[in-house]
Amino acid sequence: MSKSLVPHVPVSAAEVAPHRPTDWRSDAMERRVRRRYAAERRFRLMGLGAVVVSAGFLAFLLIVMIAQGHLGFVETRVTLPLDLRQARLGLTAERLRGPGADLALAGAGLERAVDAAANRAFATEGGAALLSDGAWLRVRDAVKRDPHLLGRPFTLDLPVASAIDVAAKGNGTPAAERTVAALGAHLSRGIARDFLTGADSTDATRAGIWGALKGSLLTMFVTLALAFPVGVLSAIYLEEYAPRNRATDFLEVSINNLAAVPSIVFGLLGLAVFLGTLHLPRSAPLVGGLTLALMTMPVIVIASRNAIRAVPPSIRDAALAVGASPIQVVSHHVLPLAAPGILTGTIIGMARALGETAPLLMIGMRAFIAAPPDRLTDPATALPVQIFLWSDQVSRGFVEKTSAAILVLLVFLLAMNGVAIFLRNRFETRW
Amino acid sequence: MRRIVLALAAWLPVALGACVDQAAGGGAGARDQIRVVGSSTVYPFTTLIAEQYLAANPNARPPVIESTGTGAGIRLFCAGIGASYADLVDASRRMKRSEYDECARHGAGDLMEVQIGIDGIAFAEARQGPPMRLTPALIFRALAAAPDGRPNDSRTWRDLDPEMPATPIRVYGPPATSGTREAFAELILARGCETLKPELAALRERNRAAFDARCLAVRDDGAYVDAGENDNLIVQKLGANPDAIGIFGYSYLEENTDAVRGVAINGVEPSYGAIANDSYPGSRALYVYVKRAHLRAVPGLRRFLALYAANWAPGGALTRRGLIPSPVSVRARAADTISHDRPLDPRSLDAGVIG
Repeated sequence: MSKSLVPHVPVSAAEVAPHRPTDWRSDAMERRVRRRYAAERRFRLMGLGAVVVSAGFLAFLLIVMIAQGHLGFVETRVTLPLDLRQARLGLTAERLRGPGADLALAGAGLERAVDAAANRAFATEGGAALLSDGAWLRVRDAVKRDPHLLGRPFTLDLPVASAIDVAAKGNGTPAAERTVAALGAHLSRGIARDFLTGADSTDATRAGIWGALKGSLLTMFVTLALAFPVGVLSAIYLEEYAPRNRATDFLEVSINNLAAVPSIVFGLLGLAVFLGTLHLPRSAPLVGGLTLALMTMPVIVIASRNAIRAVPPSIRDAALAVGASPIQVVSHHVLPLAAPGILTGTIIGMARALGETAPLLMIGMRAFIAAPPDRLTDPATALPVQIFLWSDQVSRGFVEKTSAAILVLLVFLLAMNGVAIFLRNRFETRW
Repeated sequence: MRRIVLALAAWLPVALGACVDQAAGGGAGARDQIRVVGSSTVYPFTTLIAEQYLAANPNARPPVIESTGTGAGIRLFCAGIGASYADLVDASRRMKRSEYDECARHGAGDLMEVQIGIDGIAFAEARQGPPMRLTPALIFRALAAAPDGRPNDSRTWRDLDPEMPATPIRVYGPPATSGTREAFAELILARGCETLKPELAALRERNRAAFDARCLAVRDDGAYVDAGENDNLIVQKLGANPDAIGIFGYSYLEENTDAVRGVAINGVEPSYGAIANDSYPGSRALYVYVKRAHLRAVPGLRRFLALYAANWAPGGALTRRGLIPSPVSVRARAADTISHDRPLDPRSLDAGVIG
């Protein structure tokens, strides 16, 4: 015990004299105490204010997106009476069973027949111009499902043109608003299935997010397949095997720097190496995945190293002491204990890659492609790029589609972060 | 342990190599998919053609259309022939002779030139702004870097013309790489420059570079704001800043008539008719260029081109999307080019004609 902590004991009568107990009730003291409490309160409120501001930004973003975007999942339909017997399509039910059904229907002039039916039914309101460009495709699918429709009159709810759709949702031009008022009871609303199952289109009522989503999923698959094993193995090597010297220090600094490099730089690298030197196909998820893997790898290495370092040395010592080989120590003990941290870091790195646009623009994943990709080498776009492309569209109908696509992207990001939090809470061991 | 590490070290290049092998099939060999690059102005029209192509040929692979801007698109297009290079380039201006020479150097000099229609670069302002009446000469004096040979220091429109409102000069326009910007320079700035200084017209013939520096350079002190390739953004900025003027493709003006209105140039409002009959000074031709060698190699490319011709007449699907049809004679010539594979004569590019 140090001397200063020993209370001062008066030794002579002279010293005892004017010592009064602290007067907590004096004005000066009460002022001081009030100031202390006020400072405390101020500090707490500042913290609370910071939280409120950041939550406010988030709420603002979400509310604006949901307010604009929820209509993107809804389409306006008009009920159209159809009678394909009049159109003389020259089709029989038998021809529609085989694999050539699409071609037969496209060649038979179904589009003209649907336009003619619309012209008859809504002659005063605008006729075929009311219908979406893709309306006849719905008729085609209905006829393919039930070929007997060719032989009898029926009605079908078909999507309306983009201008009418926007007006029915209360945001259109005066002319379109009048048309909506005239159509009145013929209009109905439904879930826009094309939006969830289709690919890009020039017509807002037909544009779908599935093509871009599938492109994103394929890209993420390549990224994960490459960045995860390489990232985790480098982390294990650096933590468990590498000697501590100048070279590994340099490596560590380089990896940390790499994690902070702006993503556009990786895009340029991808353009030069994968497209320029290796001649991989442009716009392919394979190239996108390779480029994003470069970007994600350092994040995974850093997260994995931290997770591995958090496993106490006593576990390793104990395993070695009972005769485990180094690889058994790593694979039986260190990796399972570090897994939650490694997976959390990986998922967060992947979430960042999912939201990345700039490098994908550089390697050409910004094209208009009217069908979802089937292979890793097929041209594709990705979700954030699709949002970027739609935001530049001339037609008004794309405003809500853009917001709806942002919602889809946000749902995926939230889901990935949710999984990361779940893994951390469920499997994390505290020492 | 060492064995494991070695095995992994050996596995990685193999895995990567497999990727490359798999990719080579799609990249360097034959390609059954049409690839298009180029102008963001022509992009909406080419995507529409791609959709029609797919609707008519349900079993075809979807065409891939990238909007890169005219200049960058021509660079990509001209990098060579073969499966890894685009078949078609969208251009919102004619190809330059220097660009053609670049193409020819890479073996891609055998081209077809098809004019698909006309577009207007529209000057527009917010509906609630003061109505403006401009001329090319006025725009040149307001926006050129050095209209009188010394740096432009005009701040408000009234500085230039006592009749104009005293609002600050602020113009949102496309960036230097854009075809719209080049059309703006050629159609408006060059015209204004020559009106003001007829002696410079001779300089244009003698020394193109000196003329460009003198007449086409845009001031960079904030009066001209480079608003990027996103034309919707310019429309939004005009709404937020009623005194400003925006420059973008005519189709954006047509789609946003509730927020912005066209600015008359030489007394002519930008309208469908005024652009088609060339009385509005900001009209320009839109082109696609095709590699003739690819016509045989890429299935469906001919049908794809024929769809342009089927839809570019008045009332066709392209014109419903905002394309302004070219005059009948130009359409006939373009249709003839498509049906007979007529090659582009590079000498015709020398004149620097804007259609």
